[in-house]
Amino acid sequence: MRWNHDFKASSKTEYQFSGTFFIEMEVTMMKNKNLPSGTRDEFGSEAEIKETIENKLFKTFRQRGFRKLTTPVLEYSDVFQPLNAENYRSYQLLDDQGESLVLRPDLTLPVARVMSTTGIELPVKWYYGGDVFRVKKQLSGGYNQLTQAGIEIVGYKGIKADWECLEIALTGCQKMAIDDVTIELSHAKFVDTLIDQLALPKPTKDSIKTALFEKNLSKYDQLLRPLEKTAFGHFLSEWPWLFGSFDEVMTALETLPEVEVLQPIINDLQATKQFIKGLFPKVNVTLDLSIPSPQTYYTGMAFRGFTEKSAGYLFSGGRYDDLLTNFQNVKTAAVGVAFDVDALVERTPVSPSQPKTLVFFDTDQWDEAEKALKTIPNSTLCLTSSLDAAKKLAAGTNSRLIDLTESR
Amino acid sequence: MQRIKIALTKGRTEEQVVPLLEQAGINCEGIRHKGRRLIFDEDPRYEIILVKGPDVLTYLNNGSVQIGIVGSDILSEQENFQYAMLDLDVGKCRFVLASTKDFNPQVHRRKIIATKYPNITKRYFQGIGEDVEIIKIEGSVELAPLIGLADAIVDIVETGNTLKENNLQIFAKLQQVNTKVVVNRLALRQYQPQIKELIANLQTTNQQVVQKKSTKE
Repeated sequence: MRWNHDFKASSKTEYQFSGTFFIEMEVTMMKNKNLPSGTRDEFGSEAEIKETIENKLFKTFRQRGFRKLTTPVLEYSDVFQPLNAENYRSYQLLDDQGESLVLRPDLTLPVARVMSTTGIELPVKWYYGGDVFRVKKQLSGGYNQLTQAGIEIVGYKGIKADWECLEIALTGCQKMAIDDVTIELSHAKFVDTLIDQLALPKPTKDSIKTALFEKNLSKYDQLLRPLEKTAFGHFLSEWPWLFGSFDEVMTALETLPEVEVLQPIINDLQATKQFIKGLFPKVNVTLDLSIPSPQTYYTGMAFRGFTEKSAGYLFSGGRYDDLLTNFQNVKTAAVGVAFDVDALVERTPVSPSQPKTLVFFDTDQWDEAEKALKTIPNSTLCLTSSLDAAKKLAAGTNSRLIDLTESR
Repeated sequence: MQRIKIALTKGRTEEQVVPLLEQAGINCEGIRHKGRRLIFDEDPRYEIILVKGPDVLTYLNNGSVQIGIVGSDILSEQENFQYAMLDLDVGKCRFVLASTKDFNPQVHRRKIIATKYPNITKRYFQGIGEDVEIIKIEGSVELAPLIGLADAIVDIVETGNTLKENNLQIFAKLQQVNTKVVVNRLALRQYQPQIKELIANLQTTNQQVVQKKSTKE
């Protein structure tokens, strides 16, 4: 169904409905017919697919012993202060005390807030689902309300917790029948640890890091010139391209002089790749050692999943043992992963809807109608007053009509 | 292998970049004789579309194209977050603050600045600790101080001839502008080998152009 609006100089609008008839009405300047930029209504198959996907994910989480945690849509803006503001501009409003509130732009920081204020005993495994709000550029076609579903494992330090997140992320994709997933591993500490090894003044190190992260090759190559002849030279020249096939990136690492502090990071990544390949042999595992940590509070391995066709990531997560330090002084181990539910919906084909069966009945046949409803698949009560109207409706919607009044 | 889609800014950028693309081994026959066409697939590896500068990032952010070729003026004005990987040695110019010769940058009042680039203008004046009123206009920005709409303008100059012809002079030099190759962050991962090859070819071509220029000088 499509409504076409043609605004005319006469201040009258023609609404065209299914191209068949016209209604004329006065145009008012009220915005009661518009949606704010970046929002949308979801109905029919799209909304149903979304619900199915969410339910499948929640079921998976619950079956693995995760507990549900729901946080409000409105929070004080201070909760999200650790977020990189460039990526997440939020909707802001004031409460009645003049305090600055936001529609949550993220679902992980509220979990951290809960953990640091409620004294819940560790370790704990949470799952959550809901919408986040991020203001995108006006009229760019981007949506500002995004649905996520994810988990947080709090209080486990070892790599097993990271692996349970990966297991859940990849099982989730499997359940959505997405069989061409690429999972990209990275590590929040790799770049900093390596740059620390370079004999350069801090401002130069920072410039190299920025150019590397922005993949600004023109600037990066220029900054690198003084290091060309050093032991790091060859590795550094290839660094911005140090992503892609896991094994190739690992081979490129061999050109690096031995740096002891990097070894535990490399070992973790190797072991994780083996883990994924063991359980999900079809999944393509890649490695990126040239990107920044997704957020400042990430401390360990990070990962995200995508497919060749997707316009965005299907899931992303990682270890963030600094997550709670914004709320309390004590560090707490935490690792999590979140699915972009909208991206999963986009990937799910809409199956053609089955023709419906309409059950027509008299008001005193309600019991009988209910029984029919239960036994006939894909049926619905036909609530028209007359049989004629029911027949018209059935013809118009290409449905089968069962008439319970016939047998009277 | 899947084709890579490139959004190229039409007009002057297109004229300057096409020779570079050709030198990098890309077939641009179609663009050379384009007529009214907007999509070019003469080269089996690439599909090039011609769009207006500000639209390059819209296509790129949306994932509709993997690579954009566009001026840094537009990237900076639109606050780009994709990978601006390469500077091409074409389309070099500079943002300036210009006005009539009686303009006094030190005057103590809130100045009115006309520009096509409100964000760049705002950032420049914030950077020097000044607050100004910005008026956005769409073209012939030079008119604004002459007609009395604004005290000064922030605009791009290449040779400075337009300013001179309109009796305007430069009061401050702002950031430089050049043409950049921008890559969608996810696409770089999805099409790594193809994009790496293209970027490497363009890098070599670009260096050759720079060297040729410097030997001429």
